[in-house]
Amino acid sequence: MIVCVAVVGHQNNPLYLQSFTEADDALKLHHIVHCSLDVIEERVNNPKKSGPTLNETFLGLLYPTENYKVYGYLTNTKVKFILVTTDLEVRDADVRSFFRRFHAAYVDAVSNPFHVPGKKINSKTFAARVSSIVKTFGSGAA
Amino acid sequence: MASYLAQFQTIKSSCDRLVIAVEDVSDLWPGVKDGFEERLPLKKALLNNKTRNSVYIESLPAEFILTTDSRLRSRFPQEQSVFWFREPYAIVVLVTCEDLDEFKTILKPRLKLIVQNDEREWFIVFVSKAHPNNDPATKMAKRIYSKLEVDFNSRKRERCCRLDLHGSDANFWEDLDFKLIECIRNTLDRRVQFYEEEIRKLTEQRFMPVWSFCNFFILKESLAFMFEIAHLHEDALREYDELELCYLETVNTSKQRDFGGLERGDDQAALLNPGSKPLTHAVQDDSFREFEFRQYLFAYQSKLLFNLHRPVEVAARGYSFIISFSKTLALYENLLPFCFREVWVVTACLALINSTSSQFGGSNVTADVHKEFYRLLGDLYSLSRVKFMRLAYLIGYGVEMERSPVNSASLSMLPWPKPAVWPIVPPDASADVLAKEKIILQSNHRVKHFNIERKPLPLEPSLLLREANRRRASLSVGNTSELFDTRQSLTDGPGSEGNSQFSPTGKVYASLMSRTFSGPANSESPSLSLDRPMRLSEIHVAAEHALKRTISDPDLLKSLSSVADFERKYMELTKGAADNYHQSWWKRHGVVLDGEIGALCFKHGNYDLAAKSYEKVCALYSGEGWQALLAEVLPNLAECQKILNDQAGYLSSCVRLLSLDNCLFSTRERQDFQAEVFRLAHCEMKHPVPLDVSSLITFSGNPGPPLELCDGDPGTLSVTVWSGFPDDIALDSLSLTLMATYSTDEGIKAIKCSDPPVLKPGRNLITLGLPPQKPGSYVLGVLTGQIGQLRFRSHIFSKGGPPDSYDFMSYEKPTRPVLKVHKPRPLVDIAAAISSALLINEIQWVGLIVKPLNYSLNGAILHIDTGPGLMIEGSHMIEIEQYTKETENLVDCSNLKNMKKDACSSEGCEKLLLKDGSLALPVWASDIGSILWLPVRAIDNSLARGTSTVKPLRHSVVDGMRMIALKLKFGVYGNQVFERTIAVHFTEPFHVSTRVADKCNDGSLLLQVTIHSQVKASLRLCDAWLDLQPGFVHAGKVDGRPTSSYFPVVVSPSSRAAILFIVHLGNVSIADKNDGLQTGSILNIKYGIMGDRTVGAHVPVNVKAEDSRELLFKSILSLQRPALDPCLAVGFLPFTSDCLKVGQLVDVRWRLERLKDLEETHLSSISKDELLYEVDANPENWMIAGRKRGHVSLEATRGSRIMITVTCLPLVSGYVRPPQLELPGVGESNISSNPAGPHLVCVLPSTLSSSFCVPA
Repeated sequence: MIVCVAVVGHQNNPLYLQSFTEADDALKLHHIVHCSLDVIEERVNNPKKSGPTLNETFLGLLYPTENYKVYGYLTNTKVKFILVTTDLEVRDADVRSFFRRFHAAYVDAVSNPFHVPGKKINSKTFAARVSSIVKTFGSGAA
Repeated sequence: MASYLAQFQTIKSSCDRLVIAVEDVSDLWPGVKDGFEERLPLKKALLNNKTRNSVYIESLPAEFILTTDSRLRSRFPQEQSVFWFREPYAIVVLVTCEDLDEFKTILKPRLKLIVQNDEREWFIVFVSKAHPNNDPATKMAKRIYSKLEVDFNSRKRERCCRLDLHGSDANFWEDLDFKLIECIRNTLDRRVQFYEEEIRKLTEQRFMPVWSFCNFFILKESLAFMFEIAHLHEDALREYDELELCYLETVNTSKQRDFGGLERGDDQAALLNPGSKPLTHAVQDDSFREFEFRQYLFAYQSKLLFNLHRPVEVAARGYSFIISFSKTLALYENLLPFCFREVWVVTACLALINSTSSQFGGSNVTADVHKEFYRLLGDLYSLSRVKFMRLAYLIGYGVEMERSPVNSASLSMLPWPKPAVWPIVPPDASADVLAKEKIILQSNHRVKHFNIERKPLPLEPSLLLREANRRRASLSVGNTSELFDTRQSLTDGPGSEGNSQFSPTGKVYASLMSRTFSGPANSESPSLSLDRPMRLSEIHVAAEHALKRTISDPDLLKSLSSVADFERKYMELTKGAADNYHQSWWKRHGVVLDGEIGALCFKHGNYDLAAKSYEKVCALYSGEGWQALLAEVLPNLAECQKILNDQAGYLSSCVRLLSLDNCLFSTRERQDFQAEVFRLAHCEMKHPVPLDVSSLITFSGNPGPPLELCDGDPGTLSVTVWSGFPDDIALDSLSLTLMATYSTDEGIKAIKCSDPPVLKPGRNLITLGLPPQKPGSYVLGVLTGQIGQLRFRSHIFSKGGPPDSYDFMSYEKPTRPVLKVHKPRPLVDIAAAISSALLINEIQWVGLIVKPLNYSLNGAILHIDTGPGLMIEGSHMIEIEQYTKETENLVDCSNLKNMKKDACSSEGCEKLLLKDGSLALPVWASDIGSILWLPVRAIDNSLARGTSTVKPLRHSVVDGMRMIALKLKFGVYGNQVFERTIAVHFTEPFHVSTRVADKCNDGSLLLQVTIHSQVKASLRLCDAWLDLQPGFVHAGKVDGRPTSSYFPVVVSPSSRAAILFIVHLGNVSIADKNDGLQTGSILNIKYGIMGDRTVGAHVPVNVKAEDSRELLFKSILSLQRPALDPCLAVGFLPFTSDCLKVGQLVDVRWRLERLKDLEETHLSSISKDELLYEVDANPENWMIAGRKRGHVSLEATRGSRIMITVTCLPLVSGYVRPPQLELPGVGESNISSNPAGPHLVCVLPSTLSSSFCVPA
């Protein structure tokens, strides 16, 4: 189950964070997303390590913890997408396609002329679209 | 083969280096042993690894063992092949012989016997005992050795070397080393080949039923061990890796077997300690128990990695091993002791940390690896921290834990332990239960500072109460019975579990309860007494007891024994994680954990440290705009600062709290923050504290064009200030700086708001009085203000809305100016309304056009100062009227209309009073042009003077010029001053010129008086008369008036009229002469004027239009009697010859002519017909030949003429004055020279002649 998706701006500021847990504990997800920036930063700053995936937007698994997994995606404009899931068996291809669709949704959202670049995304349409992407995650719809 | 395992293990433990066998044929070993063993360990050995690549080994340990030693004897061949690694890698045959026969007969066959086994690598060391001085013995030894070489060396390989006991032979030892290594290399290669072959065979049989992993393991590990003792660690490591892979495959595919981990002490991870438990204990049915075996493999891998100096890799592998092994443990959790998995992870992490960090110490690695290593350590610490916290939570220390996002993230997603049966409360633990109960009851969860109400973040994946009771054997499914307790805990009060009432899961229970509680629940009531659900305290006690059984590590046990111990350990782990993360790339992880350290410090009253930690966390979150997280920490920081009495910090924190997103705190909380700020600012603080409140109070200029001001003008600037305070807040002062857009060097002056405003929440409109500014455009600078002792400032601009949380990232200044001060420009113009001259000595209207140039003249005051010769008639009011273009055009209109205008009877005209030389302009004239009419009189006491052809008019502009100095004060505060001096031209209405038109024969003169109109107005001459000066008399009429019937005459503007007067020369008495020279004749003209004041001269103010003829003009005409009265004309006649020469006689002739009849002249002295003449010549120039003086007769009638000739001789050459004829008897005024003689004549020098000499 995806518990959280987030968009983080190029200055590491949160642009959008949606949790999909029932409990009122979004703050811990804020924490997880925020801390995962460390990993993204490390990857980006040490291109040697990431090796062949240097030019790829999909950063892969950031956190191999016991209980949840964090996946990252970095756009050309240094906007990060972060996905937190409690599914421990996740196919990489699923995550890739999820991020691709999420990226498309994000691009549509920020293309809105009333959106100020670098500001939080408040679009309800975007939220709805994200929810639908999250719902269909892993179902092979992509 | 499995039975060999134990043997294998013992062999392995007893054998730790390569064995070199010594076949001591001639009992030489004791003598050479020391020398041989000195060579150990072998230096710079060149061995082949598994892929047949050469590997240098710096130091290769080995051991010489005699073949007679028990360790090398009595081994079965089969076991040898498996444990081949312990067999000698080389055989050194030590021989000596002093006798050739003995060699041939005894030694050689024996040696042949020894070396016959091809499998072995051997070489012979011939020891020569011969003393160097003992020549025959030496020779013999040489011979035997050469025999030996012939017998045993092959073409490919030398197998002999010689050691002289008494000679020092360095070559021998090198040779020995070389041969030893050669043997070892060959043996190793052969054995690797053998093992590989065996392993390959076994691998092929892998899926056959007979296959045993144990055999495979023994072979594989033998090979690995052989590599290890040969110091080929890389190869050994590879073998272990392959072994692990193979094991994992078999483990996953094979049938269910025991997992292990049930023995006492298993909870302490043995992943770095291969010898902790004999492997034989782990073997079962030809395979190994996973628990022991995987740790065993990892232990060997890490040992090899440490040997390879790769502690970072140990840490990296270790971390993933722990994670994956923890998952494996989770699979077997129901078989393992309670919380075995957590305990194992904690101990594994700590063991890994200890060993890797001690190994890492001195190794020099790149910065990247360094950071990576510390990151791994941080991960290990934080993993063990999480597990440790979970353990502590189970035994009831959860209430002591900070419910922070980091703890919640790691604990709430971590599932509860899943033992088959949840531990039950031991029978004699009622006291413990009570104690736990007390703890739960006492620790109502900490109230957040500022009474912030937040639902605490969960530290548990689900309710522990439910989970524990569900897992109890007797209560198969948690339902009715446990709900009693749920309800109880709900009513019990704020225990940690009690908080769940807010969570959705709690609600589910409530509904469940109401459903199930109705009827059938009672049927279970008998079992309640027997096996009622545990209460939370009981769960804790039960868990504690179970843990005590699980944990064998006394250290861990102790750290869970009390809250203080728990906190000590917790602090150690958190600090370890934070410190290591700080040294890695993962700064955020480190800082966040710092926050946890801070929380603990705070709890223990170490506020200083707590504040420092919290500050770091706050800086991290606010720096990247994570407001939700910041809102969690900032109140804690504020509380610390409050306790530490750090007023500035506390104030700043309160302001930061206020400036966070509105949705993060309730209005009441925000009001509390504000109250706190207000209280601090007004009561607590003794000294002013500066603070940046950019995120709380923002400001912007009003939309629309900027305020435009003229240079020097003050103004009012209105600014929108947005207040983020939840309530109204009264400021003590507020000021704003303006910055010039193009010059930064000028000192920026703050503009103060005159009355300190009260800011409403949200948008406020503030108006500021603006003092005069320098020209330029200005943008808003900084807003500063004061609330009590709080001096705040703000640099953030917004469009009147709340400060966007990301505005802090772009410090762009708005370029839109709010104020434009124009460069100095004329704001008003005052000009004279008239273009032509006014009447002098009459009261005339002087028009001043006051024209505002896009600038209001409201309240303007005009100071009028007239120059000398000009005065404002106080008796008349000053008139003002609107100035329009039509006013100018009125010139063309008829006179009648003009008259009306002059009377200022039109509606647009207003009368003003001049007071002390100044007057106030009316309001209506503020923005439109107006004409101010001043009644002035230019005074000139001199009379006008006529001119004649003899004395032409000399115009002097200055004569009629009068000055009016004007000073207009205007502008909002009378700050603008306009000064101008206006020249007004005044003139007489006429200019009079005279001319004698004709002289009549009767002696009367026709005097023409021409009247030039000087003004642009019609002049109406009504009467004119001439008062003649003595010496002149009017002819005919006495009063000197022209015919009156001609009058009135109208003289158009700038045109002329003329009057003729006939005058006679009269007699002049002496007295008259004395007076009459001064006074001239006076021309008097009575006239009227019809002019427009907008154009120039007009009817004087005090004269009514109808009485315009009243005006009188006087002009002096000075008439002069004729000066000359010629009677005789003297004419110089031209010379007869063209050129005069010195010494040449010349006739000079004059003609005399009488011009008048003699009787007409009054010169009686002149004789009637005789004239006396005289020639006047310079005697130096001329010699007169003839009469110089004499009388000539001339007839008395007019026109009579006579010629006088005088011969002269020029004496000098050059231009000389010719001789003059003078008439001494006649007055000079009576003679006219006609034609006049030349002034100078040219006299040439005489022609050169010897007869004419002039003495020098």
